[in-house]
Amino acid sequence: MIWEFDLLLFALLIASAVVAIRVRQLVATVAVLSIYSLLAALLFANMGAVDVAFVEAVLGSALSGVLMLIAVLVTDNVQTKRSRKAEWVAIPAVLAMVGLMLWASADLPDRGIPNSPAAEGVATEYVENSLADTDTPNVVTSILADYRSFDTLGESTVVFTAALAVALVLRQGLVRRRRPDPGPNPGPDPDTDRNHNSDHDSDRAAP
Amino acid sequence: MIGPHSSPNMRVIGILVVPFVLMFGVYVIAHGHYGPGGGFAGGVIVAVAVIIVRMIAPRNLSERFFPPGLPLWLMVGGMGLFVGIGVLAVAWGGDVLDYASLPLPGDDSRRRYLSILLVEFGVGAAVSGSMVFIFDLLASLERDS
Repeated sequence: MIWEFDLLLFALLIASAVVAIRVRQLVATVAVLSIYSLLAALLFANMGAVDVAFVEAVLGSALSGVLMLIAVLVTDNVQTKRSRKAEWVAIPAVLAMVGLMLWASADLPDRGIPNSPAAEGVATEYVENSLADTDTPNVVTSILADYRSFDTLGESTVVFTAALAVALVLRQGLVRRRRPDPGPNPGPDPDTDRNHNSDHDSDRAAP
Repeated sequence: MIGPHSSPNMRVIGILVVPFVLMFGVYVIAHGHYGPGGGFAGGVIVAVAVIIVRMIAPRNLSERFFPPGLPLWLMVGGMGLFVGIGVLAVAWGGDVLDYASLPLPGDDSRRRYLSILLVEFGVGAAVSGSMVFIFDLLASLERDS
Protein backbone atom coordinates (compact mmCIF):
# COMPACT_ATOMS: atom_id res chain seq x y z
CA MET A 1 0.00 0.00 0.00
CA ILE A 2 1.32 3.40 -1.04
CA TRP A 3 -0.01 6.27 1.06
CA GLU A 4 0.43 8.90 -1.69
CA PHE A 5 -1.75 6.80 -3.98
CA ASP A 6 -4.31 6.37 -1.20
CA LEU A 7 -4.34 10.13 -0.62
CA LEU A 8 -4.85 10.80 -4.34
CA LEU A 9 -7.71 8.29 -4.47
CA PHE A 10 -9.36 9.82 -1.40
CA ALA A 11 -9.08 13.31 -2.87
CA LEU A 12 -10.63 12.13 -6.14
CA LEU A 13 -13.33 10.25 -4.20
CA ILE A 14 -14.37 13.35 -2.28
CA ALA A 15 -14.16 15.50 -5.42
CA SER A 16 -16.40 13.11 -7.36
CA ALA A 17 -18.90 13.05 -4.49
CA VAL A 18 -19.06 16.87 -4.49
CA VAL A 19 -19.43 16.93 -8.30
CA ALA A 20 -22.23 14.35 -8.11
CA ILE A 21 -24.12 16.62 -5.73
CA ARG A 22 -23.51 19.87 -7.64
CA VAL A 23 -24.27 18.64 -11.16
CA ARG A 24 -27.82 19.41 -12.37
CA GLN A 25 -28.22 16.86 -15.16
CA LEU A 26 -29.14 13.52 -13.61
CA VAL A 27 -27.45 11.49 -16.37
CA ALA A 28 -24.20 13.23 -15.46
CA THR A 29 -24.82 12.52 -11.78
CA VAL A 30 -25.16 8.81 -12.55
CA ALA A 31 -21.89 8.85 -14.50
CA VAL A 32 -20.06 10.63 -11.67
CA LEU A 33 -21.49 8.17 -9.12
CA SER A 34 -20.07 5.33 -11.23
CA ILE A 35 -16.67 7.03 -11.07
CA TYR A 36 -17.11 7.33 -7.30
CA SER A 37 -17.75 3.59 -7.02
CA LEU A 38 -14.77 2.80 -9.21
CA LEU A 39 -12.50 4.93 -7.00
CA ALA A 40 -13.93 3.23 -3.91
CA ALA A 41 -13.18 -0.14 -5.54
CA LEU A 42 -9.58 0.95 -6.17
CA LEU A 43 -9.28 1.96 -2.51
CA PHE A 44 -10.60 -1.44 -1.40
CA ALA A 45 -8.18 -3.22 -3.74
CA ASN A 46 -5.35 -1.09 -2.39
CA MET A 47 -6.24 -2.28 1.12
CA GLY A 48 -6.06 -5.90 -0.03
CA ALA A 49 -9.80 -6.56 0.06
CA VAL A 50 -9.91 -7.82 -3.51
CA ASP A 51 -13.26 -9.58 -3.22
CA VAL A 52 -14.97 -6.46 -1.89
CA ALA A 53 -13.28 -4.36 -4.58
CA PHE A 54 -14.50 -6.76 -7.26
CA VAL A 55 -18.11 -6.58 -6.12
CA GLU A 56 -17.93 -2.81 -5.74
CA ALA A 57 -16.50 -2.39 -9.25
CA VAL A 58 -19.03 -4.73 -10.85
CA LEU A 59 -22.12 -3.76 -8.90
CA GLY A 60 -21.46 -0.17 -7.85
CA SER A 61 -19.80 1.22 -10.91
CA ALA A 62 -21.41 -0.87 -13.66
CA LEU A 63 -24.80 -2.32 -12.86
CA SER A 64 -26.28 0.20 -10.44
CA GLY A 65 -25.24 2.95 -12.88
CA VAL A 66 -27.19 1.23 -15.66
CA LEU A 67 -30.23 0.75 -13.43
CA MET A 68 -30.16 4.40 -12.32
CA LEU A 69 -29.73 5.49 -15.93
CA ILE A 70 -32.84 3.56 -16.90
CA ALA A 71 -34.69 5.14 -13.97
CA VAL A 72 -33.61 8.58 -15.21
CA LEU A 73 -34.76 7.75 -18.74
CA VAL A 74 -38.23 6.70 -17.65
CA THR A 75 -38.68 9.69 -15.38
CA ASP A 76 -36.90 12.98 -16.00
CA ASN A 77 -33.33 14.10 -16.53
CA VAL A 78 -33.43 17.45 -14.72
CA GLN A 79 -33.14 17.72 -10.98
CA THR A 80 -35.79 19.74 -9.20
CA LYS A 81 -34.58 22.87 -7.44
CA ARG A 82 -33.46 22.27 -3.88
CA SER A 83 -34.54 24.68 -1.21
CA ARG A 84 -31.79 26.88 0.20
CA LYS A 85 -33.21 26.65 3.70
CA ALA A 86 -32.56 22.92 3.92
CA GLU A 87 -28.84 23.50 3.40
CA TRP A 88 -28.62 25.59 6.59
CA VAL A 89 -29.71 22.52 8.54
CA ALA A 90 -28.05 19.86 6.43
CA ILE A 91 -24.52 21.25 6.16
CA PRO A 92 -23.92 21.69 9.93
CA ALA A 93 -25.48 18.28 10.58
CA VAL A 94 -23.21 16.61 8.02
CA LEU A 95 -20.13 18.41 9.36
CA ALA A 96 -21.01 17.39 12.92
CA MET A 97 -21.41 13.77 11.80
CA VAL A 98 -18.06 13.82 9.97
CA GLY A 99 -16.38 15.28 13.05
CA LEU A 100 -17.97 12.64 15.27
CA MET A 101 -16.81 9.81 13.03
CA LEU A 102 -13.27 11.19 12.71
CA TRP A 103 -13.15 11.52 16.50
CA ALA A 104 -14.40 7.96 16.95
CA SER A 105 -12.00 6.60 14.33
CA ALA A 106 -9.06 7.62 16.52
CA ASP A 107 -10.03 4.75 18.84
CA LEU A 108 -10.01 2.13 16.07
CA PRO A 109 -7.02 -0.21 15.91
CA ASP A 110 -4.59 0.43 13.04
CA ARG A 111 -5.20 -1.55 9.90
CA GLY A 112 -3.36 -4.86 9.73
CA ILE A 113 -2.04 -5.04 13.30
CA PRO A 114 -2.15 -8.67 14.45
CA ASN A 115 -3.79 -8.21 17.87
CA SER A 116 -6.78 -6.17 16.75
CA PRO A 117 -10.14 -7.70 17.76
CA ALA A 118 -10.97 -8.56 14.15
CA ALA A 119 -7.79 -10.63 13.73
CA GLU A 120 -8.20 -12.62 16.95
CA GLY A 121 -10.58 -15.30 18.11
CA VAL A 122 -12.54 -17.22 15.53
CA ALA A 123 -10.93 -15.47 12.52
CA THR A 124 -7.58 -17.21 13.04
CA GLU A 125 -9.43 -20.51 13.26
CA TYR A 126 -10.98 -19.88 9.83
CA VAL A 127 -7.71 -18.82 8.22
CA GLU A 128 -5.76 -21.78 9.63
CA ASN A 129 -8.30 -24.52 8.91
CA SER A 130 -9.92 -23.36 5.69
CA LEU A 131 -7.80 -25.48 3.35
CA ALA A 132 -8.08 -28.64 5.47
CA ASP A 133 -11.81 -28.20 6.09
CA THR A 134 -13.03 -27.20 2.68
CA ASP A 135 -10.25 -27.69 0.07
CA THR A 136 -10.69 -23.99 -0.72
CA PRO A 137 -7.57 -21.79 -0.95
CA ASN A 138 -9.59 -18.55 -1.04
CA VAL A 139 -10.48 -18.00 2.61
CA VAL A 140 -13.05 -15.35 1.73
CA THR A 141 -15.08 -17.86 -0.26
CA SER A 142 -14.89 -20.57 2.39
CA ILE A 143 -15.94 -18.11 5.11
CA LEU A 144 -18.79 -16.68 3.03
CA ALA A 145 -20.13 -19.95 1.64
CA ASP A 146 -19.32 -22.43 4.40
CA TYR A 147 -18.37 -21.11 7.86
CA ARG A 148 -20.79 -18.21 7.64
CA SER A 149 -23.14 -19.61 5.02
CA PHE A 150 -26.14 -18.69 7.14
CA ASP A 151 -25.18 -15.00 6.74
CA THR A 152 -24.86 -15.49 2.99
CA LEU A 153 -28.27 -17.15 2.93
CA GLY A 154 -29.63 -14.06 4.66
CA GLU A 155 -27.92 -11.75 2.17
CA SER A 156 -29.32 -13.66 -0.81
CA THR A 157 -32.75 -13.47 0.78
CA VAL A 158 -32.32 -9.70 1.10
CA VAL A 159 -31.50 -9.38 -2.62
CA PHE A 160 -34.41 -11.66 -3.51
CA THR A 161 -36.85 -9.75 -1.32
CA ALA A 162 -35.60 -6.38 -2.56
CA ALA A 163 -36.18 -7.41 -6.19
CA LEU A 164 -39.67 -8.59 -5.34
CA ALA A 165 -40.40 -5.34 -3.47
CA VAL A 166 -39.17 -3.28 -6.45
CA ALA A 167 -41.42 -5.37 -8.67
CA LEU A 168 -44.43 -4.73 -6.46
CA VAL A 169 -43.81 -0.97 -6.35
CA LEU A 170 -43.19 -0.64 -10.10
CA ARG A 171 -46.11 -2.89 -11.11
CA GLN A 172 -48.34 -0.66 -9.00
CA GLY A 173 -47.17 2.34 -11.03
CA LEU A 174 -47.70 0.45 -14.30
CA VAL A 175 -51.27 -0.47 -13.40
CA ARG A 176 -52.15 3.03 -12.26
CA ARG A 177 -50.66 4.68 -15.33
CA ARG A 178 -52.18 2.26 -17.83
CA ARG A 179 -55.71 2.61 -16.51
CA PRO A 180 -56.69 6.10 -17.81
CA ASP A 181 -55.23 5.44 -21.27
CA PRO A 182 -56.34 2.07 -22.66
CA GLY A 183 -55.67 3.17 -26.27
CA PRO A 184 -52.60 2.33 -28.41
CA ASN A 185 -49.20 3.07 -26.89
CA PRO A 186 -48.20 6.60 -27.96
CA GLY A 187 -44.53 6.16 -27.02
CA PRO A 188 -42.28 8.88 -25.61
CA ASP A 189 -42.62 12.41 -26.91
CA PRO A 190 -39.69 13.09 -29.28
CA ASP A 191 -39.54 16.78 -28.28
CA THR A 192 -38.94 16.12 -24.60
CA ASP A 193 -36.38 13.50 -25.58
CA ARG A 194 -34.34 16.02 -27.51
CA ASN A 195 -34.55 18.70 -24.85
CA HIS A 196 -33.70 16.70 -21.77
CA ASN A 197 -31.16 14.19 -22.94
CA SER A 198 -28.28 15.97 -24.51
CA ASP A 199 -25.73 13.25 -25.06
CA HIS A 200 -25.77 9.51 -25.61
CA ASP A 201 -29.36 8.65 -24.86
CA SER A 202 -30.86 11.02 -27.41
CA ASP A 203 -30.51 8.51 -30.21
CA ARG A 204 -32.51 5.86 -28.41
CA ALA A 205 -35.44 5.08 -30.64
CA ALA A 206 -38.93 4.45 -29.43
CA PRO A 207 -40.03 0.91 -30.21
CA MET B 1 -41.16 1.81 -22.55
CA ILE B 2 -37.57 2.16 -23.68
CA GLY B 3 -36.45 0.58 -26.93
CA PRO B 4 -33.03 -0.80 -27.85
CA HIS B 5 -30.21 1.43 -28.99
CA SER B 6 -30.35 2.09 -32.72
CA SER B 7 -26.68 2.83 -33.43
CA PRO B 8 -24.92 0.10 -35.46
CA ASN B 9 -21.64 0.75 -33.61
CA MET B 10 -23.24 -0.14 -30.30
CA ARG B 11 -24.82 -3.24 -31.80
CA VAL B 12 -21.60 -4.61 -33.31
CA ILE B 13 -19.54 -3.94 -30.19
CA GLY B 14 -22.28 -5.37 -28.00
CA ILE B 15 -22.63 -8.58 -30.02
CA LEU B 16 -18.85 -9.00 -29.93
CA VAL B 17 -18.62 -8.42 -26.18
CA VAL B 18 -21.63 -10.39 -24.88
CA PRO B 19 -20.25 -13.98 -25.18
CA PHE B 20 -17.07 -13.03 -23.35
CA VAL B 21 -18.95 -11.20 -20.59
CA LEU B 22 -21.22 -14.21 -20.13
CA MET B 23 -18.25 -16.59 -20.06
CA PHE B 24 -16.42 -14.37 -17.57
CA GLY B 25 -19.49 -14.27 -15.33
CA VAL B 26 -19.73 -18.06 -15.18
CA TYR B 27 -15.95 -18.24 -14.68
CA VAL B 28 -16.12 -15.84 -11.73
CA ILE B 29 -18.90 -17.89 -10.12
CA ALA B 30 -17.09 -21.19 -10.64
CA HIS B 31 -13.61 -19.89 -9.80
CA GLY B 32 -14.52 -18.36 -6.43
CA HIS B 33 -12.58 -21.13 -4.66
CA TYR B 34 -9.28 -19.92 -6.06
CA GLY B 35 -9.59 -16.22 -6.73
CA PRO B 36 -11.62 -13.15 -5.95
CA GLY B 37 -15.28 -13.32 -6.83
CA GLY B 38 -18.00 -15.83 -6.27
CA GLY B 39 -21.73 -16.06 -6.64
CA PHE B 40 -22.52 -12.43 -6.05
CA ALA B 41 -20.01 -10.77 -8.40
CA GLY B 42 -20.40 -13.50 -11.03
CA GLY B 43 -24.17 -13.23 -10.93
CA VAL B 44 -23.96 -9.49 -11.49
CA ILE B 45 -21.64 -10.02 -14.49
CA VAL B 46 -24.04 -12.56 -16.02
CA ALA B 47 -26.85 -10.05 -15.50
CA VAL B 48 -24.74 -7.37 -17.22
CA ALA B 49 -24.36 -9.64 -20.27
CA VAL B 50 -28.13 -10.05 -20.49
CA ILE B 51 -28.65 -6.32 -20.01
CA ILE B 52 -26.22 -5.56 -22.86
CA VAL B 53 -28.34 -7.76 -25.12
CA ARG B 54 -31.49 -6.03 -23.87
CA MET B 55 -29.95 -2.64 -24.69
CA ILE B 56 -28.81 -3.41 -28.25
CA ALA B 57 -30.93 -6.22 -29.71
CA PRO B 58 -34.45 -5.82 -31.07
CA ARG B 59 -37.15 -6.97 -28.68
CA ASN B 60 -37.95 -10.30 -30.33
CA LEU B 61 -34.28 -11.32 -30.49
CA SER B 62 -33.46 -10.33 -26.92
CA GLU B 63 -36.55 -12.14 -25.67
CA ARG B 64 -35.45 -15.28 -27.48
CA PHE B 65 -31.98 -14.93 -25.95
CA PHE B 66 -33.37 -14.49 -22.44
CA PRO B 67 -37.15 -14.91 -22.07
CA PRO B 68 -38.83 -12.27 -19.87
CA GLY B 69 -40.23 -14.97 -17.59
CA LEU B 70 -36.80 -16.46 -16.90
CA PRO B 71 -35.46 -13.96 -14.28
CA LEU B 72 -38.15 -14.81 -11.76
CA TRP B 73 -37.49 -18.54 -12.23
CA LEU B 74 -33.75 -17.92 -11.83
CA MET B 75 -34.37 -16.03 -8.59
CA VAL B 76 -36.64 -18.72 -7.20
CA GLY B 77 -34.40 -21.53 -8.47
CA GLY B 78 -31.24 -20.01 -7.01
CA MET B 79 -32.80 -19.38 -3.63
CA GLY B 80 -34.34 -22.84 -3.78
CA LEU B 81 -30.94 -24.42 -4.47
CA PHE B 82 -29.37 -22.59 -1.50
CA VAL B 83 -32.20 -23.30 0.94
CA GLY B 84 -32.55 -26.84 -0.46
CA ILE B 85 -28.91 -27.64 0.27
CA GLY B 86 -29.37 -26.29 3.79
CA VAL B 87 -32.48 -28.36 4.42
CA LEU B 88 -31.09 -31.50 2.73
CA ALA B 89 -28.19 -31.42 5.18
CA VAL B 90 -30.75 -31.71 7.98
CA ALA B 91 -32.49 -34.55 6.17
CA TRP B 92 -29.20 -36.48 6.08
CA GLY B 93 -28.63 -36.01 9.79
CA GLY B 94 -26.48 -32.86 10.01
CA ASP B 95 -27.13 -29.28 11.07
CA VAL B 96 -28.63 -26.68 8.74
CA LEU B 97 -26.12 -25.91 5.94
CA ASP B 98 -23.69 -28.50 7.32
CA TYR B 99 -22.31 -29.53 3.94
CA ALA B 100 -20.25 -32.46 5.23
CA SER B 101 -23.38 -34.51 5.89
CA LEU B 102 -24.65 -34.23 2.31
CA PRO B 103 -24.56 -37.40 0.17
CA LEU B 104 -21.83 -36.16 -2.20
CA PRO B 105 -18.71 -38.09 -3.30
CA GLY B 106 -15.36 -37.74 -1.53
CA ASP B 107 -14.36 -37.07 2.05
CA ASP B 108 -15.71 -34.28 4.29
CA SER B 109 -13.58 -31.47 2.83
CA ARG B 110 -14.40 -32.56 -0.74
CA ARG B 111 -18.12 -32.55 0.05
CA ARG B 112 -17.83 -29.03 1.49
CA TYR B 113 -15.89 -27.99 -1.62
CA LEU B 114 -18.59 -29.26 -3.97
CA SER B 115 -21.42 -27.80 -1.88
CA ILE B 116 -19.70 -24.40 -1.86
CA LEU B 117 -19.72 -24.58 -5.67
CA LEU B 118 -23.44 -25.44 -5.70
CA VAL B 119 -24.23 -22.65 -3.24
CA GLU B 120 -22.24 -20.16 -5.31
CA PHE B 121 -24.24 -21.11 -8.39
CA GLY B 122 -27.43 -20.69 -6.37
CA VAL B 123 -26.41 -17.22 -5.22
CA GLY B 124 -25.31 -16.35 -8.76
CA ALA B 125 -28.64 -17.42 -10.24
CA ALA B 126 -30.60 -15.53 -7.60
CA VAL B 127 -28.55 -12.34 -8.01
CA SER B 128 -28.48 -12.34 -11.83
CA GLY B 129 -32.20 -13.12 -11.92
CA SER B 130 -32.98 -10.26 -9.53
CA MET B 131 -30.91 -7.74 -11.47
CA VAL B 132 -32.40 -8.63 -14.88
CA PHE B 133 -35.84 -8.68 -13.26
CA ILE B 134 -35.41 -5.11 -11.96
CA PHE B 135 -33.96 -3.97 -15.30
CA ASP B 136 -36.86 -5.44 -17.29
CA LEU B 137 -39.39 -3.83 -14.99
CA LEU B 138 -37.73 -0.41 -15.18
CA ALA B 139 -37.37 -0.62 -18.95
CA SER B 140 -41.05 -1.55 -19.34
CA LEU B 141 -42.15 1.69 -17.65
CA GLU B 142 -43.36 4.58 -19.74
CA ARG B 143 -41.97 8.04 -19.65
CA ASP B 144 -43.71 10.35 -17.22
CA SER B 145 -43.73 13.54 -19.26
